[in-house]
Amino acid sequence: MEIPYAIEVRPDTGTYNARLAMWLFLASEAMLFGALFSAYVLLRTGADVWPRGPERLNVTLGSINTVLILAASASLAVARRAFLAQHAGRARAAIGAAAAAACGFLALKLFEYREHVLAGDVPARDNFFATYYVLTGVHALHVVGGILVLVYLLLTRPGPAPSATARYQHRLDVTLMYWYFVDAVWLILFVSIYLR
Amino acid sequence: MVSASAQKSPGFLRGYLFSLDHKVIGIQYTLTGLLFLLLGFTIMTMMRWQLAHPGLPIPLVGGWFGQTRAPQGIMLPEFYNSLGAMHGTIMVFLGVVPVAVGGFGNFLIPLQIGAPDMAFPKLNLASYWCYAAAGLVMLASFLVPGGAAQSGWTSYPPLSVINQGAQAWWLVGMLLLITSSLLGSLNFITTIVQMRAPGLTFGRLPFFIWAQLVTSFLLLLAFPPLEAAAFFQLMDRVAGTSFFLPTGLVVSGRVLHNAGGGNPLLWQHLFWFLAHPEVYVLILPAMGIVSEIIANNTRKPLYGYRALVGSTLTIGFMSMVVWAHHMYITGMGTTMSSFFQTTTILISIPSVVILTCLFLSLWGASIRFTVPMLFALAFLPMFGLGGLTGLPLGMAPAGLHLHDTYYVIAHFHYIVAPGTIFALFAGVYYWYPKATGRQMNERLGQLHFAGTFVCMNLIFMPMFIQGLAGMNRRLYDGGALYAMNHDVLWLHLLISRAAWTMAVFQVPFMVNVVLSLRAPRTADDNPWQATTLEWAAASPPGHGNFRVPPHAYRGPYEYSVPGAAADYTPQFAPAGE
Repeated sequence: MEIPYAIEVRPDTGTYNARLAMWLFLASEAMLFGALFSAYVLLRTGADVWPRGPERLNVTLGSINTVLILAASASLAVARRAFLAQHAGRARAAIGAAAAAACGFLALKLFEYREHVLAGDVPARDNFFATYYVLTGVHALHVVGGILVLVYLLLTRPGPAPSATARYQHRLDVTLMYWYFVDAVWLILFVSIYLR
Repeated sequence: MVSASAQKSPGFLRGYLFSLDHKVIGIQYTLTGLLFLLLGFTIMTMMRWQLAHPGLPIPLVGGWFGQTRAPQGIMLPEFYNSLGAMHGTIMVFLGVVPVAVGGFGNFLIPLQIGAPDMAFPKLNLASYWCYAAAGLVMLASFLVPGGAAQSGWTSYPPLSVINQGAQAWWLVGMLLLITSSLLGSLNFITTIVQMRAPGLTFGRLPFFIWAQLVTSFLLLLAFPPLEAAAFFQLMDRVAGTSFFLPTGLVVSGRVLHNAGGGNPLLWQHLFWFLAHPEVYVLILPAMGIVSEIIANNTRKPLYGYRALVGSTLTIGFMSMVVWAHHMYITGMGTTMSSFFQTTTILISIPSVVILTCLFLSLWGASIRFTVPMLFALAFLPMFGLGGLTGLPLGMAPAGLHLHDTYYVIAHFHYIVAPGTIFALFAGVYYWYPKATGRQMNERLGQLHFAGTFVCMNLIFMPMFIQGLAGMNRRLYDGGALYAMNHDVLWLHLLISRAAWTMAVFQVPFMVNVVLSLRAPRTADDNPWQATTLEWAAASPPGHGNFRVPPHAYRGPYEYSVPGAAADYTPQFAPAGE
């Protein structure tokens, strides 16, 4: 059974199914991170004392992470462009690079967490660290999810048929939308937690 | 469309348990949800024993609960509290919404819009099993030392953080459930927008579809804050954080050794930001179901289609800005309180418009008193009563006094129980022939209706009286400790007996659902002579739903069209027929 408009664009809505679904998903994710962020704002403004980010966190590591996560999306954008131009091999390499950059982000994050825990900065220590761990942790879980999708894209070579190629192109498109969102959330977290 | 070549039969696992077919998944949701409704109801019958006969051993099953819950069969207060919390959780999250949205939504949306299935069948499968997993976690939580969650379905901290019991399990169950809900709403919205049959413009959609569309948007956007809150509370419980624990909290005479700096009100805001839209999730699908059944059994178009749709969209938007009317007693000050009172009164207007349109649909109608129609008709005054009794709650001067009393319990149960659940019953009787090819037994249905209708009113009407006297909710002794309750305590016995009687009247329904499956397949494609697209498919429809791709030629409620041959003109019949 063929699902209508999985591949071709529906004329009156101007989109295919997966792209609409990704916009809806990102709206929901915006509500999730919005809630997490609002909680952070409420707790911070209600607190008598709240340390500044650079006093407690490693801004250098955070900056490297920022570069890594932006590199991941940039790589994926290159991959998308390459696949569109029918350079499948180049596209796969770029997807691999994106996955590697994202894995680097995670590795550095875990290293940071480990350093903090060893120094006694655990979530229970105070709300600064509680919000740091929860906000960056939920973001990191989203990075994990994104990496799983990139691995899936690497493992599934599209067949020769035009419909298979189009389906794969759509998957690249919506995955890139997701990674842009992951970028945007990280930037907001980095500025408001690490730098303030 | 329906595969002409018979594909190899998929076997039990792929055919019934892990099917990608929206109809199978819809029936899975419905059956699982009905079972949870039965469980939630059973829990309540046990609570009613304690309220009617405080301190007496629970008959028959009292010995099953062990020393930690009911020593010598007498319910402990902690057990009563966990029954209360889980009754609410199970009914709302594991019962009503899965049946109304997961069950009816899944089964009917592709059929009513003329699509072969949902936009994302695998996502559909995943969302059912996430729900099933959530249900298992909630069920397992009853066996955890300390008992199931026992801080109300609202799980307010600090109590929910410091309390004994399986609160962490509740939180994990909620996270799974929210995931299920999210995946489902993505599917529903994409399907409705992208996969409508040719000719089926938004203005020709059955009202049921509009109701499901707005419901899905509410689920999509309102659940994430609760997901965040559940994560925070889980951290508070297992990782020792203080998101919701204030500094210097004193528990049993001793100051708690935690970091502090947390805010219990933060939980309330995040929780109610979801839980208010959630109540519209509970009612909108029900309004959709009732509307379809009323149009069909009055043999005339619904009154005010555009008013119905406009009101539903308005309710969707406004439901996101009323949440703090659950929090009037938190000391929010008159400015904030005025804002929320205003939005709350405003949102009552579209609700009244919808109910009025449905009442007006009866005017001049040729009413067929089928069993679905009996439940749909009863829905109208029951929902009306429930809704109207919400008005004093929405206004702070009265709301402050009625908050957390039995008045509130009566108000929302009138809406959900003889409201939504009646609509769900109506829907089961109405669409059973489409799903199974058989009609349910009429007499058993009438018996189910009559007994349930009378008992519902005997259960919940007295609760208004108890609440107005000042009787508080969630009291294991039913308020006996307070002098102000003494004149209304006797009502507990009346209510309990009505509840136990209502349990007996559900038996004809359960028998009917099961035994009607063994009846011969007498239902044809369109046994109710209805107009919407699902009645173009076979009963039951095959994989892919339609023998030929359907086309919508007109609006959804062309009943009694002057000059037409029959008293109904289906959407799918070409012009000139």
